[in-house]
Amino acid sequence: MNTKRMALSAAAAGTAAGVVGLVLVALPAGASAAPPNLPAISPEALVQSVLSAKVPAMSGSVSFDADLGLPIPGLPSGDKPIRVFTDGTGKAKLLLPTGPAEKSIVEDGKDVWIWNSQDQTVTKIDGGADKKFHGGMSEGMLADPQNAAATLVSEMRKDSNVTVDGTGWVADRSVYELVLTPKPTERTLLREVRVAVDSQLRVPLQLEVFANGQSDPAVKVGFTEFAPGAQDPKLFTFTPPPGAKVTERSGNDLPKPEEAKGLIDQLQLKVVGHGWDTVLVGKVPAGVLGATPQNGGDKHGFDPMQLIKSMGTKVQGPFGSGVAIKASVGTILIAADGRVAIGAVPQQVLVEALGK
Amino acid sequence: MTTEVVGMTALPVGASRPRRAPLGRLLRSELRWVFRRPRTLVGIGLLGLAPIVIGVATLFVTSGVTGDPEQGPPITALGGSALTLPVISLSMLLLFLLPLVASIAAADAIAGESASGTLRGLLVAPVGRLRLLAVKMVGVMAVITAAVLVITVVAVVTGLILHGTSGLVTLSGTTLSLGESLGRVTVTVGWVLLQLWAVAAIALAVSACTEHPLVVLSTVIGGLIVIGILGSLPVLDWLQPFLLSDNWTAGADVLRDPVYTGDMGTSALRALCYLVIGYSLAVARMATKDS
Repeated sequence: MNTKRMALSAAAAGTAAGVVGLVLVALPAGASAAPPNLPAISPEALVQSVLSAKVPAMSGSVSFDADLGLPIPGLPSGDKPIRVFTDGTGKAKLLLPTGPAEKSIVEDGKDVWIWNSQDQTVTKIDGGADKKFHGGMSEGMLADPQNAAATLVSEMRKDSNVTVDGTGWVADRSVYELVLTPKPTERTLLREVRVAVDSQLRVPLQLEVFANGQSDPAVKVGFTEFAPGAQDPKLFTFTPPPGAKVTERSGNDLPKPEEAKGLIDQLQLKVVGHGWDTVLVGKVPAGVLGATPQNGGDKHGFDPMQLIKSMGTKVQGPFGSGVAIKASVGTILIAADGRVAIGAVPQQVLVEALGK
Repeated sequence: MTTEVVGMTALPVGASRPRRAPLGRLLRSELRWVFRRPRTLVGIGLLGLAPIVIGVATLFVTSGVTGDPEQGPPITALGGSALTLPVISLSMLLLFLLPLVASIAAADAIAGESASGTLRGLLVAPVGRLRLLAVKMVGVMAVITAAVLVITVVAVVTGLILHGTSGLVTLSGTTLSLGESLGRVTVTVGWVLLQLWAVAAIALAVSACTEHPLVVLSTVIGGLIVIGILGSLPVLDWLQPFLLSDNWTAGADVLRDPVYTGDMGTSALRALCYLVIGYSLAVARMATKDS
């Protein structure tokens, strides 16, 4: 009888321990931790230290969350984080999960290697360490909150109130929360942009964009793990695996100046306004929208204009007629004549911009 | 801490018995009993064929690989090397067939003995009930381990025959040595074993509650299907981290270089919790069972 009772109490204890363990595993760590006590700092000093901070040797995981109210193709997907490694001197490795496969970008200090496990191809960009390359690499930007946030901060100071709004934790590191809010004169859909800055290293660890009327961030890019420290130099070398198809490109001719200029001319890009209510106005090359006989819409019989119409609402204005697609962080207005305006602004601002 | 609790349950019961059979002999006889069952051997044998089928199938799919990442595991792109074939085989079999093996073994262990009337004899024999449960658990774990090891060995050998020691390429594009590859396969094997032992512990708890082996089978497999469906509903996002099979595709993360340990670590801890819960419930049921 005694053994039975002991067995039962041990079983109860075991079950309870298992359930508690399960809850601990399931709950995100540090979600309810009290904000750290850090010395006060002025926004100017914080911004300055961010701009002058150097990215140390580190490894980390970056996750990207978007709640734009619109499906946007091409954004990082899946629940595996992007992994980042850098030795602090410009060599870097990015591992981008693409579903169950992986894309790997290695910058070995001289060349850039891009490996795609899906089709087993390697692209080698000679002299790709050139800074020009980074500008064109949107996936790299997303995985690199340091650059993304630093650019944003310096731009936004002109039209924003910049404050330090307390402290917090990101990836188990103490951070200052740098908050940019639009000045009252700005006509924008955004409520605030929050940058979490590491209190010691002064590198941005997380970027959050909040739209009006949303309590959760519309866009959130940030480290879920961040570990400064020397990295294995082997990480920053790449040898194409046997059997992989290697394409070589020269870093210098990546964005061919004439081609890029031609494209920009064709798009007739124009920036209207400044600050938070900047609107980008352009013109879609004829034939891209709408199923013309030449392109048949798309080889799958896909008509982009139909999709746009189904996602947006019809708009009339001084510019003519068009379709507006609204997301939580911005609006796109596509006029019937192919002109397009886009910005983090309400529809009315786009209508005015197209009229200019 | 949790393992101590399990250890405690087995000790006091056996200690209070004046006359008891040596544990080694009990285990030997249980293992002999388990591995003499034709269904165990046939099941393991059939599972061992799976890596050969997968490995040969990838040989035929050499071209026409699309760049669409949503189309499932990139087995066609990776080929069936001695690194990828075992990992992919185990990952695929973990989703259904291996849990089936685990629940059949657990169903036979207690409910099966109940159904054939032999459990009554075992309960009055000079063997503590919890000791009996422990021996049964070891028997079930042994069947699972044998199945996983057979699959792994067949997969590694198939990979070596088909591709030799070349092409041990990770998803990240790095090439590994054979030793490193086998090390990574071992990590997946350990992780898969832990997940299956957790399934077995839950199945053993169900097995202790019923006299019908089919009830165990349908509860466990049905349960896995249900949590699979629950896990895919966006409304129940909050529930996902509690579900045993939430990260069951994470075994393939050893193919990333460096290995991505986040999901595997979380799901290993979770499996450990389920193992403790399942075994504790089985202990509770065995202690109160009528003989």
